[in-house]
Amino acid sequence: MGRMLTFEIFRYNPADPASKPHLQTYTLEEQPSMTLFIALNRIREEQDPTLQFDFCCRAGICGSCGMVINGKPGLACHTQTADLPDRITLYPLPVFKLLGDLSVDTGVWFRDVGKKIESWIHTNVQFDPKAQEERMDNELSLKIFELDRCVECGCCVAACGTARMKEDFIGATAINRLARFYIDPRDKRDAADFYDLVGNDQGVFGCMGLLACDNVCPKQIPLHDQLGIMRRMVTLESVKAIIPEFVRKKLMGCKSIKA
Amino acid sequence: MITSSPRDLRSRLDFWQALSGAILALFVCVHLVLEGSVVISPEITNTIGWLMEETYVAQIAAPIIILLIVFHFWIAARKMPFRAGELEIFWDHSRALKDLDTWLWLVQVFTAVVILVGAFFHVFTVMADLPITVVESSKRLHMGWWLFYVLFLPCTILHTGIGIYRIGVKFGIIDKARRIFWRKVIWAAMACYLALGICALTRVWLIGY
Amino acid sequence: MQVHYSDVLCMGAGLAGERVAVEAAQAGYKVICLSVVPPRRSHSSAAQGGMQAALGNSVMGEGDSPHIHFNDTVKGSDWGCDQEVARMFAETAPIAMREMAWMGVPWNRVVPGEHTYFKGGKPFQAVEKKEKEGLITSRAFGGTAKWRTCYTSDGTGHAVLFTLDNRMLQLGVEVHDRMQAEALIHDGERCMGVIARNLRTGELEAYVARATLIATGGFGRIYRATTNAVICDGGGQITALDTGIVPLGNMEAVQFHPTGTVPTDILVTEGCRGDGGTLLDVNEYRFMPDYEPEKAELASRDVVSRRMTEHMRKGLGVKSPYGDHLWLDIRHLGEKHITTNLREVYDICRHFLGVNPINQLIPVRPTQHYSMGGVRVNKDGHAYGLKGLFAAGEAACWDMHGFNRLGGNSLAETVVAGRIVGKKVVEFLEGDSMTFKTDSMNQAAAGVQERIDNLRRGTGEDCYTLRNAMQDVMMEDVGIFRNGKDLQSGVDKLQDILERTKNMRLAGKNLKGEDAELGLALRVPGMVRLALCVAYGALQRTESRGAHAREDYPERNDRDWLKRTLATWKPGDSLPTLNYEDATPFFILPPGDRGYGGGKLIPGPEIPADKLVPFDQPEAQEA
Repeated sequence: MGRMLTFEIFRYNPADPASKPHLQTYTLEEQPSMTLFIALNRIREEQDPTLQFDFCCRAGICGSCGMVINGKPGLACHTQTADLPDRITLYPLPVFKLLGDLSVDTGVWFRDVGKKIESWIHTNVQFDPKAQEERMDNELSLKIFELDRCVECGCCVAACGTARMKEDFIGATAINRLARFYIDPRDKRDAADFYDLVGNDQGVFGCMGLLACDNVCPKQIPLHDQLGIMRRMVTLESVKAIIPEFVRKKLMGCKSIKA
Repeated sequence: MITSSPRDLRSRLDFWQALSGAILALFVCVHLVLEGSVVISPEITNTIGWLMEETYVAQIAAPIIILLIVFHFWIAARKMPFRAGELEIFWDHSRALKDLDTWLWLVQVFTAVVILVGAFFHVFTVMADLPITVVESSKRLHMGWWLFYVLFLPCTILHTGIGIYRIGVKFGIIDKARRIFWRKVIWAAMACYLALGICALTRVWLIGY
Repeated sequence: MQVHYSDVLCMGAGLAGERVAVEAAQAGYKVICLSVVPPRRSHSSAAQGGMQAALGNSVMGEGDSPHIHFNDTVKGSDWGCDQEVARMFAETAPIAMREMAWMGVPWNRVVPGEHTYFKGGKPFQAVEKKEKEGLITSRAFGGTAKWRTCYTSDGTGHAVLFTLDNRMLQLGVEVHDRMQAEALIHDGERCMGVIARNLRTGELEAYVARATLIATGGFGRIYRATTNAVICDGGGQITALDTGIVPLGNMEAVQFHPTGTVPTDILVTEGCRGDGGTLLDVNEYRFMPDYEPEKAELASRDVVSRRMTEHMRKGLGVKSPYGDHLWLDIRHLGEKHITTNLREVYDICRHFLGVNPINQLIPVRPTQHYSMGGVRVNKDGHAYGLKGLFAAGEAACWDMHGFNRLGGNSLAETVVAGRIVGKKVVEFLEGDSMTFKTDSMNQAAAGVQERIDNLRRGTGEDCYTLRNAMQDVMMEDVGIFRNGKDLQSGVDKLQDILERTKNMRLAGKNLKGEDAELGLALRVPGMVRLALCVAYGALQRTESRGAHAREDYPERNDRDWLKRTLATWKPGDSLPTLNYEDATPFFILPPGDRGYGGGKLIPGPEIPADKLVPFDQPEAQEA
């Protein structure tokens, strides 16, 4: 017989005026290789059909199931109960709009932020169906994909002290996304353009270097390294008038200013 | 072409914060080493103090440093949890998350306030009765100022150490691969400075007897 | 009831839906995408392997052409596909890949110089050409003559989906996520949009559009063990079936993927085998070459899945508390390859199985993976029976996959069909005017509301019990190997379950706002009907073709069955009505032996000369 697990789950239905935020307790016997995906579905199917939560791919790829698991934001589907103590506390991700119990509206948040940072390739080049593709160094394409791997689960945002305090902070995920375009030669935006987008306290300067984003990222994306690169680039852009050009170029370091 | 719109000025705040922080950090490091010379011999410290005064470095630097501290605080304060509920949110957040780097930021906020007030008293009392000598310092400690320094010294060292680490992290100088290494280096450096500071304080205290 | 108007309405915002949306938006039309989840969480994002396109840049893909790609696709389909569509697909695929590169997909590129590759676990050397440096490269996938699968490490679906969604942001396409389409608005001739349930508020909303696209992906969730996401419940196909007019094509053609992991059923990509991974049995013996001397692990998916099942039936599977399985071995590919090109596999193994694939074996078994069948559309993506209704991607039966699809062809289909159908939707809109009928809308909305009210009154079993019952039937009776007796019993049991759904009960009662139980409860009767289309279609098809393997009819019967099943559901019936049409309007590749799989053949009559056409057309396909 497996362990008896006690789940303390945050319950609140914002659509129901009679609902008050509270913790509800469920118990469930642990099975081998049990994940929170299996556990939560069993609770809903066997004990409480009113429990709301989100899963989709249940394979750690789609980013639907971010929640706060014993204090730490993470993906529920790839969290094994075996790695957790007997008492498991589940809260919805903060910052995002609550839809019900553990379900939050990450979709709208990410769409808004995507529009804000203009998360697309900016180019005047038209697609020519007859032409060969533009060449790209494989190392560079791997590097771009490395930053493109973000699944937009929102864990980094939920773990960010700044995002908790300041609603309009765009978060590590958005800055990482922009870094992806910064290193992509197909995107013709230069440092000045990026500066216009994120050179403020809602953008890169909002980051206080708390590093929690990095520590909770389920995809282990080096978010903070990207924040660092972007911050340096944007900061140097902000002091264009003060610091001599050759010093600035030297300090850019990791990537020379785009032509 | 040099242009600067008000927007430029605002976005430069982050740069000024880092730069003033770096200068202050450098100052603290040098200051503590010079001060620490008392462990070897109070004579050296007295000589350094004399030199500083004769060359007017002390008289000029002191107000500049104070101004720099105020400037640094004023810029960095825009990040502080002053608005209603912010501190509470951050406190709850830190407690739930149990993440060291998040905690360290609270340390940074707390020590910042201590340093802002402390630096003013520290500089005022020292500069009020020149010349700078070890004996004068010792007298002050025995007057009860020791309590002040027991708080002020670790706060300064913590704020400086964490501050340097954070500048490194924020500007991508300390990347993920080297983060643990640098964290260790900085904690070690802070420990050394603290040890030096405590030794120096003890040495100065003993002179008063 | 809130009513939204647009020119184009896409149900589903995965790769196919978004590609069509992008095409229509580029042409200046107003597009709304509905999606049950935020678009970037669509199941397209989970596709790891890649997209087949005959670019022929890599050394192992040298000499490749759309014609060879076409041949592979037709053989893979076991001649069940529409050859006109397959040709269109093979010709457009390279353009679509380059277009995605232009939009921003970080495809892996050719690195010149000598490389060590693996084939069947054995290393060999090959030199990539200097002049191809930086062009889109490719990897091997099953059932192909050339290395043809374009990829971005093992996150191809993710990378392409994010790129397309970025393009959607740029074009300002409206996305309404957490919207579940429940019924099509139509008057029996013309589709005018859908009635959808807002999953945030629980309210019904109407979406009126001149062109409606079904791109909701597959219906794998009618099986218990499936690699599909929990949202892959066939919602789009159900709305089409519910019209009673629009047929679903080849529903019995269900693909089982050889490497679903045990016990989680999460897929590990075919890229594992493409890159040189091997399948081992309980004695850690590599058995596939014994069955398939030439292609071994890289025969088509239906063949590998059957061979694996066959091998396990001989008692050579690995026993586990979760049933028998086999091993997938990728250890010899080395740490660097596994942690970069197969990184998602590495993560899945570690997080979900507690296995480190660098030095351990991965437990795998064939698992439901893909639905070749779907809403039957013509080559333009226009659905049979209803004007203004389109479908693309896995939700559609466009029919380039026939009875088995090749790995890397479905992901490619999404953007290729998206491109082609998108252009056809635009053409349709240009010459179209629609008279919107309020009656049709109100009727559709009332129908959905009645279903909800019925559920609230129900006193029978809950939706989970009935869904589980359906899944068990599908697993037991409509699996990899099928026979008349089991299929008949499956059909009977499913009919019983369908009857029981009429008195389905909501355990959670009257919930305001978000209500996941109601969402599923609304789906279950439709899912059971889809399951019946699969089971009944399989029962009637007395032959073995591609993924449809009848133990009692082991031959592929080109004499009687070179045709496509069309299933419609007349209101009030308890079984679908099956009709049949020719599999393909003409033959470029006449039916023959696939070269793998070892199946027997009942040849059909000779193909008349006017039905035989060359691959190359007089005028080149429009780009």
